[in-house]
Amino acid sequence: MELGRLEYLQALVTEFQVTDSTEAKEQVLANLANFAYDPSNYEYLRQLQVLDLFLDMLTEDNETLVEFAMGGLCNLCLDKTNKEYILEASGVEPIINCLSSSNEETVVSAVTTLMFLTTPRSCAQTTALPVVECMLRFSLSANTRLSNLASIFLQDYCSPPQVEEARNLSKHTAVGIPLPKD
Amino acid sequence: AAGSSGGPGTPCRHHAQLGACESRAKYREGWRPRAVKVYTINLESRYLLIQGVPALGVMKELVEQFALYGAIEEYHALDEYPAEQFTEVYLIKFKKLQCARVAKKKMDERSFFGSLLHVCYAPEFETVQETREKLQDRRKYIAKATNQRDCFVLKKVEGPKKTASKNSEHDCPWSTSGSRVASNWDPSCFTSSSGVSHNTAYPSGNQNQSLLTSPHYDNNCAEISGYFGQNTSLTPNIHPGGHTPPASLMQQRMVPAYNGIDRFMPRTTHLQERKRKREEGNKFSLIGTSEDNTEVVIGPQLPEIPKVDMDDESLNTSATLIRNKLKEVADSVSTSVEKAESSSAKPLVKQRRRI
Repeated sequence: MELGRLEYLQALVTEFQVTDSTEAKEQVLANLANFAYDPSNYEYLRQLQVLDLFLDMLTEDNETLVEFAMGGLCNLCLDKTNKEYILEASGVEPIINCLSSSNEETVVSAVTTLMFLTTPRSCAQTTALPVVECMLRFSLSANTRLSNLASIFLQDYCSPPQVEEARNLSKHTAVGIPLPKD
Repeated sequence: AAGSSGGPGTPCRHHAQLGACESRAKYREGWRPRAVKVYTINLESRYLLIQGVPALGVMKELVEQFALYGAIEEYHALDEYPAEQFTEVYLIKFKKLQCARVAKKKMDERSFFGSLLHVCYAPEFETVQETREKLQDRRKYIAKATNQRDCFVLKKVEGPKKTASKNSEHDCPWSTSGSRVASNWDPSCFTSSSGVSHNTAYPSGNQNQSLLTSPHYDNNCAEISGYFGQNTSLTPNIHPGGHTPPASLMQQRMVPAYNGIDRFMPRTTHLQERKRKREEGNKFSLIGTSEDNTEVVIGPQLPEIPKVDMDDESLNTSATLIRNKLKEVADSVSTSVEKAESSSAKPLVKQRRRI
């Protein structure tokens, strides 16, 4: 069956909404998240409210759905319109929560997404103290992907005073966001 | 292939070859069986891990095969990486992400000397700087593909040269040298100010790497200063990690051999160049087609990004000149780094000295 791009995406979203099968949901979400990599789809994805879908999935119990949704957001959040939409929809908070996930891909996507979403207006949220503290810890991880991204976050998106403050904080408290397990 | 996710050379979860999905609904079944996986910029990498290479001493042939998809920067066997009996594991580093992407797509699950190759990305081999650049390239790509330069055009129109140079100095504090281009466009998008630094809280970062400190930078910048902010990528190629942009205006490390000093051309040469480019006219758009390389377009063709009309004749002329220049420079850089090394301006300067 030949489907135009919009129709195809619509079919995906519809399937996602009506299916009971977790497997199908995961497949469709992965499909949408991959489509989110290509800017030529953004208009359609916005039309179909896929951004909201991704944001909603971040609080799901199913780790795979969270992983795929986080990946989808990571893929499309650099676009200005998408970025504004996510920020307006208070998307930063659930993304920050993803930093605590035990799923490596979810965490890595969340770190990158926070970087991409950082603007003069949003930086207070995206580089809040707990986040910076978390990044400090990540930067020491044996997981190169994670430590690289965290280092970039600290170097490029945080000021030295911010990093210093976080460093001092972690000296005094053991409570923190755990590193993702494998 | 579960294993600790960690440093380079150890099996990582993202190397694992997932089984193909069998249960897809008909309408979304692809041509080839595929696993359920999401690719983000974090997963993609210039580094490819190749498993299943038969241990027949075929490294040369392997590299030659992969080199069909683009220039390879490095390659070597990974002796420590667990491999099936009679097979070896290799690491191949492409110069460009886009080439790695195509190579992976084409070579994964391909038979090679009787063995099935498994090709995957190996981002854990990246240095911090390589990861940083990868993210920046992705930024630039999106900005260009979604036409988000427009907001900068409006800002930079008033007093292009001054504003841009001032911006470049002030915006840099927001992010370090490596990502100065990104910093130029991103904040501008969301601030209603004139584009000068809106956030002094951010660090100057690694200023020693910043192009701002090099005196020739402003000279080089002068010609296209008005568009530096808008032109988040100086590459005409819309593919991420595509042609290497002119290094004088981008991070020098992207093309290590390319020195910003070589890019400086005397003003008279600029004038001649502009005239020549003007005559060549609208043949080139800011995003050239990749007819000069072997890159394969994957996925849907992006819509042609319309050239920005500035509603002003001289600005439009400048814009066209810049576009053409960028195409020309990007072409010359991507085809021959050596040529660039020995001063790209050299042959032109010699020809055009007569005034």
